[in-house]
Amino acid sequence: MRTADLRGLVIGCLLLTTPALGDSDPAALTVLSWGGAYERAQRTVLFEPFAEASGMAVEAARYDGGLAALREAVASGEVPWDLIDMTRSEAMAACDEGLLETLSPTLPAPAPDGTPAAQDFLPGALGRCAITHTVFATVVAYRRDAFPGRRPTRIADLFDQQRFPGPRALQRTPGANLEWGLLSYRVPREELYELLSTQRGLRLALERLDGLDEIRWWTGGEESPRLLADGEVVMASGYNGRFFDAMLRDEAPIEILWDGQLQEHETWVIPRGSRHPDAARDFIRFATTTERLAEFARHIPYGPARRSASLQVTTHPETGIDMRLHIPTHPLNAEGAIFKDEAWYARTRERIAAYFEDWLESR
Amino acid sequence: MLRFLGLVMLGAIIGAVAALLAVGFVAVVLWLNDLLLISPRSRMMVESPGVLVVATLAVPALGGLVVGLLHRGIPEQRPHTPADVIAAVQTRRGRLPARAGGLSAVSAMVSLGAGASVGQYGPLVHLGATLGSQVARLLRLGRSNDNVTIACGVAAAIATAFNAPLAGILFAHEVVLRHYALRAFAPVAAAALVGHVIATGVLERGALFHVADPALPAPWEFAVFLAIGGVGALLAGAYLHAILGVGRLSQALPVAPALRPALAGALLGLAALWVPDILGIGQETLRFATIFGAYGSGELVVVLLLKLAATALCLGMGFSGGVFSPALVIGTLFGALCGSLVSELTGAPLETFVFYAVCGMVAVTAPVIGAPLTSLLIVFELTGSYALTTAALASVTLASPIAAQLFGRSLFDIQLRQRGLDLSAGRGRALLRNSPVCDHLTRDCVALDPVTRVAEAIGRLSQADHGEGHLVDRRGRYLGCVTLAELEAAREGGDGREAVGRLPLRQRPTLSPDASLWEAMQLLQEVTGEAIAVVDNADGERFLGVVYEASITRAYLRRSDEMRREEHENG
Repeated sequence: MRTADLRGLVIGCLLLTTPALGDSDPAALTVLSWGGAYERAQRTVLFEPFAEASGMAVEAARYDGGLAALREAVASGEVPWDLIDMTRSEAMAACDEGLLETLSPTLPAPAPDGTPAAQDFLPGALGRCAITHTVFATVVAYRRDAFPGRRPTRIADLFDQQRFPGPRALQRTPGANLEWGLLSYRVPREELYELLSTQRGLRLALERLDGLDEIRWWTGGEESPRLLADGEVVMASGYNGRFFDAMLRDEAPIEILWDGQLQEHETWVIPRGSRHPDAARDFIRFATTTERLAEFARHIPYGPARRSASLQVTTHPETGIDMRLHIPTHPLNAEGAIFKDEAWYARTRERIAAYFEDWLESR
Repeated sequence: MLRFLGLVMLGAIIGAVAALLAVGFVAVVLWLNDLLLISPRSRMMVESPGVLVVATLAVPALGGLVVGLLHRGIPEQRPHTPADVIAAVQTRRGRLPARAGGLSAVSAMVSLGAGASVGQYGPLVHLGATLGSQVARLLRLGRSNDNVTIACGVAAAIATAFNAPLAGILFAHEVVLRHYALRAFAPVAAAALVGHVIATGVLERGALFHVADPALPAPWEFAVFLAIGGVGALLAGAYLHAILGVGRLSQALPVAPALRPALAGALLGLAALWVPDILGIGQETLRFATIFGAYGSGELVVVLLLKLAATALCLGMGFSGGVFSPALVIGTLFGALCGSLVSELTGAPLETFVFYAVCGMVAVTAPVIGAPLTSLLIVFELTGSYALTTAALASVTLASPIAAQLFGRSLFDIQLRQRGLDLSAGRGRALLRNSPVCDHLTRDCVALDPVTRVAEAIGRLSQADHGEGHLVDRRGRYLGCVTLAELEAAREGGDGREAVGRLPLRQRPTLSPDASLWEAMQLLQEVTGEAIAVVDNADGERFLGVVYEASITRAYLRRSDEMRREEHENG
């Protein structure tokens, strides 16, 4: 019940803090973000300190991904947002469509020790229209009590029903499932998307999924930690932040299997037609400093996009947990990480999705 | 000592440059593959199937056209390959020309970039060797040092491309130098080491093979690995002869040489519409072949035969590229086929499937490049698995000798033999065969007109302090030779007024002007005398001069000495 209460509280807060789009304060920055614990962390670490420093209020609006609303707004010339917290694959597509302002790679500040941003950020973090602030991961988590005497150590164990019996919960998308399916044959990570680009690779990946007796398919990010916490499945895929939340708040006996974690970039972008493009740039510069990124990761375990910030992450402010061990980009966790080929997905999404749906129906 | 250390330093520098060239080469090929819709990923990202069909048909054909035009800039009208490197080193007379080397590298990049079914390691080896040779030329180094710098370039290229420094060092010795002198070892090792360091820093590539489980093969499986080696040798022979055969056939085609690669590219594109696996270097095919169940047995046979045919077509018709990568793919497919068959016989999925794939791989590649030890080391360095290397050893044990007996030491040696350089009896003979005897030709001898009287002939011989006179008529035709002893005997018997032409002439073997030192040495076994006459039979038996036996022996000793020094001196 505690979870439900909390969730209610979160939604309540959201409703209070999320302004209606029409009547936002003309002198405030409007940021489109993802709500929930994520937005709460942003409010504490980014929005409020920025307002204090610049004198410009920051208001958040709820966003669930997708480009349709942005396309419409840019076409109409009435763009109600100044900043969007967007996944990199969507940012790439939006940039190609001309929906975003271009951003200079010199916009982020250098690291405290003077390292230029270009060397301090992760490779590919400084895009034409988007600047990565954090890296999140889709991971597999398992119940610690499900397999007495052994625990999964490799992503191939997701498909090993002999040693790790029990139902699995997987996202009803090709993403992550295909990667893990093929990775379980121990192909090198570097070749993953080349191999998935062949009929043979797709077939092999789906054959792995075929080998699983019971799969519970989830679609919303909150479902899989719940299925796992309630004991309905023994292994589940999901976002690393959500699993951390479940471990922290519900004290669920959940462990994350970092091998095969699928890393994605989360970026800041400025929509074309924003009313405060200069202030928005100021905000990005502020929000991507080493110090702010490190502070953000203390609240929610997403990896800072700067190396200097990763080194400075400390403990969770409430529980004192060492957050470094829970962020995807920590060297120990990142050993077996896959970097999502966002360009590949941007171009093939529909065909791959159709292929996956066909397979689901034939299953 | 200082000179030696200098050579080691030079090796390291050549290694660094060769490694950077190799990295650049590989990057350009990958970039072209993405740009020209050859790599699976780039093909997947194209939405319209029509574009893909057009690209598959047009890219290899147009690439072939460019390659054909590039090769017109090379004197021999063909790309230079590791065979040319071996020839240059083994005969101790070749510098590798910069122009042909550069054009061959560019045409190989275009070939590989446009999806031709050829390898990338051959061009890298040649590129490294050319670099080494050019550096030696720039610094005016001697022949033996020239060979060492070439070997440095080769070792660095292999060390970088495979990220396998030991294999690079061994390849340079086993295939290019063909000796293991310490003098060459240190510079070559330095080059390979630098190449390795650069490769680790720059190239991020998956290892060729992964050992999935610590599953070890059962003892009986080693017998199967041996057998795979035996049959693999035959497959290697088929592969070699397919390449050479298409090469011969293409000579007879009524198509201009510059257009032949384009024709091959068009045919390749057509076949790739059906089986895209045969396009390009074949990295994905190689990877899938090591996964149990990725291919059915029937599919393995089809892809194997098509890959073999496609490679023979591309290389035989004049695309520029190596033979190693396609051999890797063919061999691995063959090993996978053997593994699948064994699995069907035993009725269980094979835990040791990757062992079969690797055994097939070395069974085909080792004979093709004539380097069993290098092939083993590549397996060892890429997998780090001792078990896998042992299995590969079982396979190569039979594969290399069988193929060498039936076909020749390697594709390179067969090609060189066809060009007139036979290395099968070792370097010593090849070296003598390639030293023309004309270098020692002299006219410092007594040529006698047949009408000369005996007494006068004796006088002239005594004056010139020679024991033999050579009879040459007025038109310059060679008739034979007479010794001072024979002339004396004739004077005793007559009055010395007889014409020497009337004497019974001794028929001695002669040498043609293009004869080699080797042939001269063979003649010495039958001839006793002072000198052997050199006669141009093509030009009406014209007498050109003589070669003294002493100078033949001296030249022979000098060659042997040079070789001994190169191969056995320590520093």
